[in-house]
Amino acid sequence: MTMRGFARYGLVWIAVLVMSVAAARPAEAIEAAQLIRHIDRLWRGDTSHATMTMTVRTRRYERTMTLEAWSRGKEDSLVVIRDPIKDRGIATLKVRENIWNYLPKINRVTKVPSSMMSGSWMGSHFTNDDLVKESTFEDDYDSRISFEGQRDGRSIFELTSIPKPDAAVVWGKVVTEIDQKTLAPYRAFYYDEDGALVRTLTFDEDKRVGSRIVPMRLSLQPADKPGESTVITYQSIEFGVPLQASFFSLQSLQRRR
Amino acid sequence: MQHPGAAPPFSRLPMLLFIAWRNIWRNPMRSVLTVAALVGGLVMVILYASLLEGMTRQMIRYATEVTTGHIQIHRRAFIDDQDLYATLPWSYLDRIAHDIPGIHVAPRLYAAGLASSDTTSTGVMIEAVDPKLEPAVTTMLEHVRSGKVELGVADTTKSGLTRYNVVIGAQLAKNMKLVPGSELVLVTQAADGSIGNNLYRVAAVLRPLEPNFDRMGVLMSIAAYKQLMYLDSGFHELAIRVDDIDRLPEVQAALETEMATLQRRHPLDKLGGPAVVRNWRQLNPTISDMLRLSRSMLLLIGLIVVGLASLGMLNTMLMAVHERTLEFGILLAIGMKRRWLLAMVLLESFFLSLIAALIGSGLGALAARYLEVHGIDFSASMPDGYDWAGMVFEPVMKGYLEPGQIVEACLLMFVVTMIASLIPSWRTVRLRPAEVLR
Repeated sequence: MTMRGFARYGLVWIAVLVMSVAAARPAEAIEAAQLIRHIDRLWRGDTSHATMTMTVRTRRYERTMTLEAWSRGKEDSLVVIRDPIKDRGIATLKVRENIWNYLPKINRVTKVPSSMMSGSWMGSHFTNDDLVKESTFEDDYDSRISFEGQRDGRSIFELTSIPKPDAAVVWGKVVTEIDQKTLAPYRAFYYDEDGALVRTLTFDEDKRVGSRIVPMRLSLQPADKPGESTVITYQSIEFGVPLQASFFSLQSLQRRR
Repeated sequence: MQHPGAAPPFSRLPMLLFIAWRNIWRNPMRSVLTVAALVGGLVMVILYASLLEGMTRQMIRYATEVTTGHIQIHRRAFIDDQDLYATLPWSYLDRIAHDIPGIHVAPRLYAAGLASSDTTSTGVMIEAVDPKLEPAVTTMLEHVRSGKVELGVADTTKSGLTRYNVVIGAQLAKNMKLVPGSELVLVTQAADGSIGNNLYRVAAVLRPLEPNFDRMGVLMSIAAYKQLMYLDSGFHELAIRVDDIDRLPEVQAALETEMATLQRRHPLDKLGGPAVVRNWRQLNPTISDMLRLSRSMLLLIGLIVVGLASLGMLNTMLMAVHERTLEFGILLAIGMKRRWLLAMVLLESFFLSLIAALIGSGLGALAARYLEVHGIDFSASMPDGYDWAGMVFEPVMKGYLEPGQIVEACLLMFVVTMIASLIPSWRTVRLRPAEVLR
């Protein structure tokens, strides 16, 4: 699969993970480490099930897909394309650092090799790390609250994350703005090692799901391609659904078409 | 009696030639050894030139015949970042083939993809060619290691899926443990943004042609490519073979004009950029630089070898002049002009070089001819040939004898030996008859 293909999936995972971030309950005088640990705990054992539409806009085409996604903790996730018909049933399974695709047309499962998981997606603004590394955000980055207060008429926490010296990550810095009231992320800026902005992820249309405030729309804007974007909009999302570890297996990948 | 020096300049030449020739054979052993040294040097230079020329020719052949062709046309965006959408319309293909005489054209398409077998997956470069047009431009499809090059439909699966044949690089086949007959899954992003995926049958494995293709190349027909990629707007690359390679610059200029006309008549979309016509030297700047470098290397090595051989010449002439000091003194005393003496000594060197040139070019030509026919065979240690400057070479190193190079080598030798013999000649001119005769 080409890199842009991964890019789309990558975004799906960000979406899945962000749901978990958003699940954090508001707290007084929160600290970066606490916030991170809190998020980390929330992820573990937490499950989710969502349907969403994803619109990819490039210079050449615009394409909308409907996806169904499941996640369990930060290790496992499964995304199945429901629409358009041409790609229906194509599923991507992530278990820890491994990614497989199931292709119903040819009825085969293919593993994404590690050589295609590390590094950038051949000229695209996404990296394969979005699938695998984003979930180990707390392990690979040192985060601190770099700003606390009003910005754009919102009270926010600004979380600046710098990769740990030995971490194998592609970003030089990630700055996340989190709404103080809802603890929902508002914007995330990804910088390269030279400190130049590579892409911006924007979250909006916050909605209460159970006890959580979840942004229902995520828009990704690559800095070097102004006309291009990828937007994910959730149709539905629920947390705490019963999902066994066996759900995220190659067997179930083929079964669920 | 007429004074010798007063004679018109060239009337003495036959006599001087005669004396010089006789002088050489006053010490035959020394002269033969000198000639042998010069012959040895000359033969080495000729052999070296022939091997280098052979390699150069093989290089040019490999750089053009195997995969590249003489000229290629792409869109700017395809050159810059392999933009999948930067295609040239199919209508251009017919126009180019029709309007420019003396060329053969082969369209090609490329894509990046993920190939999977039962056990392993790896990133590959998908290349699509027209199996009917390609052989007229390159020999790509002839370098078969195993299997049979066949790019048509292999079969239809039970679920009604058409499996096309593909041909893959040797290293890729080894890494993925594929043999002719194996099944291969290709997954990629199609032009419409969907996930292109299909099953293929490996029909053949190609010998190493080009390191990139060897490692990650999957070759298919253009029909198979369209089925996988949903890309019907045109082709990415047009490889062109020029029948008469000497006409390359004219054909390139004609193609540039043709492309400009076509782009005016059927404008291309903006994003892909304009069409760019490049010849093989522009496509492979490393190789063309190396060819230039090998020319100057030839001159340098030739100079060193011939220079060493002419040291022998220098020694011979110094000795000859030294032992004849008395003789020269007498000649000067009876009124021989100094410039005649100088001419005589130079003529002696000239005769030595001339003999060496005749024998040396004869022997050199014979030896080079042998290399041209038999070559130097490394196939025992390197059965696949060797990989140099991004190209794969045959394991047999063959010479190529170009008559012009023999002439050049001889001229080089003449120049160097004449310069060397200026030293002993200068000594004769500086002789003082009174001192010498004392």
